[in-house]
Amino acid sequence: MSQTAAVSAARGPVDPTRPEPGLGAYNLKLGMWVFLLSEVMFFTSLIGAYIILRFAHPEHFAAPGEVLNVPLTAANTFVLICSSVTMVKAFAAIARDDQKGLQLWLVATIILGSTFVGVQVYEYIHLFRDGFVPNAAAYTAGGGPLYGSTFYLMTGFHGLHVSIGVGCLIWVLIQAIRGRYSSSHLGGVEVMGLYWHFVDLVWIVLFTIVYLI
Amino acid sequence: MSAHATQEAPNDWDFPAFAGDHEHHEPSFIRKYIFSTDHKMIAKQFLAVSLFFLAAGGTLALMMRWQLAFPGQPMPVVDFLPSTMAPGGIILPEFYNAMVTMHGTFMIFFAIMPLLVGVFGNLLIPLQIGAGDMAFPRLNMWSFWLAVPAGLLMLASFAVEGGAAGAGWTAYAPLSADGEYTGVYLGQQLWLASLFILGFSSIAGAVNYITTVINMRAPGLTWLRLPLTVWALFITAILVLLAIPILAGALIMLLTDQTLGTTFFLPETGGEPLLWQHLFWFFGHPEVYILILPAFGIVSEVLANGARKPIFGYTAMVLAIVAIAFLGWIVWGHHMFMSGMNPVLGTTFMFSTMVIAVPSAIKVFNWLGTLWGGNIHFHVPFLHAAAFVSLFIIGGLSGIFMASTPVDIHIHDTYFIVAHLHYVLFGGSLFAIFAGITYWYPKMFGRMMNSLWNRIHFVGTFIFYNLAFFPMHGLGLEGMMRRLYDPTQYGWLAELQPWNVFITYSVFFLVGFQVIFFVNFILSMWTGREAGPNPWNANSLEWSIPSPPPHGNFQTIPVVYRGAYEYSVPGHERDFLLQNEPPDDAAKRRPEPAQRVDPSGQVKDRGGDQ
Amino acid sequence: MQNGEQSHQPYMLIWGILAFLMLAKVGVSLVGMPQWMSISFLVLISLVSALLVALYYMHLRSEPKKLWILAAVPFPLVIILILLVIQDFG
Repeated sequence: MSQTAAVSAARGPVDPTRPEPGLGAYNLKLGMWVFLLSEVMFFTSLIGAYIILRFAHPEHFAAPGEVLNVPLTAANTFVLICSSVTMVKAFAAIARDDQKGLQLWLVATIILGSTFVGVQVYEYIHLFRDGFVPNAAAYTAGGGPLYGSTFYLMTGFHGLHVSIGVGCLIWVLIQAIRGRYSSSHLGGVEVMGLYWHFVDLVWIVLFTIVYLI
Repeated sequence: MSAHATQEAPNDWDFPAFAGDHEHHEPSFIRKYIFSTDHKMIAKQFLAVSLFFLAAGGTLALMMRWQLAFPGQPMPVVDFLPSTMAPGGIILPEFYNAMVTMHGTFMIFFAIMPLLVGVFGNLLIPLQIGAGDMAFPRLNMWSFWLAVPAGLLMLASFAVEGGAAGAGWTAYAPLSADGEYTGVYLGQQLWLASLFILGFSSIAGAVNYITTVINMRAPGLTWLRLPLTVWALFITAILVLLAIPILAGALIMLLTDQTLGTTFFLPETGGEPLLWQHLFWFFGHPEVYILILPAFGIVSEVLANGARKPIFGYTAMVLAIVAIAFLGWIVWGHHMFMSGMNPVLGTTFMFSTMVIAVPSAIKVFNWLGTLWGGNIHFHVPFLHAAAFVSLFIIGGLSGIFMASTPVDIHIHDTYFIVAHLHYVLFGGSLFAIFAGITYWYPKMFGRMMNSLWNRIHFVGTFIFYNLAFFPMHGLGLEGMMRRLYDPTQYGWLAELQPWNVFITYSVFFLVGFQVIFFVNFILSMWTGREAGPNPWNANSLEWSIPSPPPHGNFQTIPVVYRGAYEYSVPGHERDFLLQNEPPDDAAKRRPEPAQRVDPSGQVKDRGGDQ
Repeated sequence: MQNGEQSHQPYMLIWGILAFLMLAKVGVSLVGMPQWMSISFLVLISLVSALLVALYYMHLRSEPKKLWILAAVPFPLVIILILLVIQDFG
């Protein structure tokens, strides 16, 4: 900040045609980054609650793989990582003005994202059958009811974020088909990517903390 | 989120509509007054809604005071409430709990916070940084239209079975986590849902403010030339951005405890009630600074204007705001000294809390330094700002009492706390809001508020405010519990009952004087004197354009040559110097700078009084 | 960032690394080493993976340093919250 002040003091007369230098990121991108910071804090409250409750009541939780299906979720994690690659490929395509590439990679991302949500729902159904439920009174699986409560809270809200992301991706795809993006107008794709990668990043952390530790 | 993509080129600076940029069509009524994307209209919308909630919260306070002064006696006038609330005008204990909860909720989340952040953030940020509008005008509109349903849900909770939430505005678990403790099921859930929706509104606003301040400052408006209001609102927006999501997470856990049978905060199935307190106050203490930092900014602006002097220690003021905002994150435990918290942790929180007194004191001394030797103009905003400083000192000092663990054990959850929080929230924030509304009213509506009635309102408010709240310190030290339904049931409090009666009468007068303000506020829109662009002879950019500013604000991008507090500059014929007035020597070299708004035609010297 | 850069970004390489790191995590959790050791490894690997996503996929690497500072703002708070609250549940 003081650096900005020093620069502007040193550069002498003010150039009236340019606003003060901001962050060097256009509004939409900066706005998305700022929004993601609040998302970090939101997931902090959920993950933090899990860490603290697990620390306070280790008897409520089970060893990795005892209750949860690690191989299935590891495969699902791979799906989400792949969707990040396809998303970034879509961005790279539009940066080269490759409209077909943009649309194809977006479709791939939507399919992968939907697959992730679908597998999660499948996993939920099986866990419910095993008595691994959020309701404390009905909980019959290994560990204790806190396990179910925290698990569904964290994975549920992550799944919600993925679902919202898929919805936004479909919107971006429609815009892409209408030809609204180009190498000089790719803000929408880039910002969509930022959100999508962030959701991927959160899952990398969640998968480790919930399934593997 | 991709809606803007087609209009906004990356790697370029976008400046939304400046007034001079293009032809304007008169927008339809709905676009202009209801679903408006103009930041000034959104500020007015927030103003209307939050003044409504201020009045609603005040009404609840009146009824609570009646019960405290005359427990069990039927309320005059208000005898029409249903039998689940106040049969025959006699307030039921359950309804008293709901009123305590809703008074706090209304005032904090739906009155003070939107007044400071929603109104002044929207109004001042684009105007004072020389921007045409916010970075995301449509998101800004959504920020308001999410707050409205949140408010309606909160109001609706009075009408549902079991009444409104009754677990206090802090909603401590397990009291709030299971309806069997309070008899309130749906009301508490509506409370949680309403605050969750309001959180979206706040975060949308914060994203907008932060992006706008970082990316859209006018040329020459460097960080250290920003008005302190913008600094304060910017830092506040960061606090909102990072604190509200923590509350959102906690609200969801509490909501699922109530509805889905999870067990985060319910101890009998393994949950931890203390976790709620930690999460709530990790949000709650930054929230305290969300409610006071914008007030700091407004007061700095108004005091410097009233004293006709540069603000004393500008850089120190900025650093103090930043320091308070950071320290605000590591002190939340001082709300929980009586929770059975780890004593080592308690001591840590005690010391970190006391450290906050340092930047706060820097601000107070700088305000006093600003006044020292000034040519003070006692206009109405200045009176409110000066009252803010004196009352904030009292509130700050009682804060030090409570920061000290051994003292806090005695006064925890007593009326001492009630006195303290009203000294910082009413004496602090609300007086600053009065200062801000009276100061920027001409900019919002183009007319001055009636000065005589404003002065009567100020004097009455200041006197009866102190008569109402200062005795609460004593009641608290004598052991009167906060949220107490009937003080006369305890012998040692029954003796003090005359004080409660005295406070209640003072509050009635206090509220009566607010009616003057509301009437003046509304009538002045039509009857007030035309204000002109710069009625206060102030310096910041919003005073260089007409009142109210046109859609798009500035005819051309303003160019800023100095900070916002160049009052009484030696060698300058007037005692103020607009930020975008070119320096004299530059003016000589360039007789007709094309890009500047000529202030001489618009500024009339009124001696700073209204 | 310059748009021409896009095609030269090592997206596929990062993808491979992320997939490998994920397998490594599953491996660590199955091997049965002491708990403190496995937790340290897992946290470390997750942080590296998250950092790779942020740096390469979210293009933080080619963004101005001021954005790095902005992006780092919440993390001290995350640590403060978890570390201080956990003291209360010993």
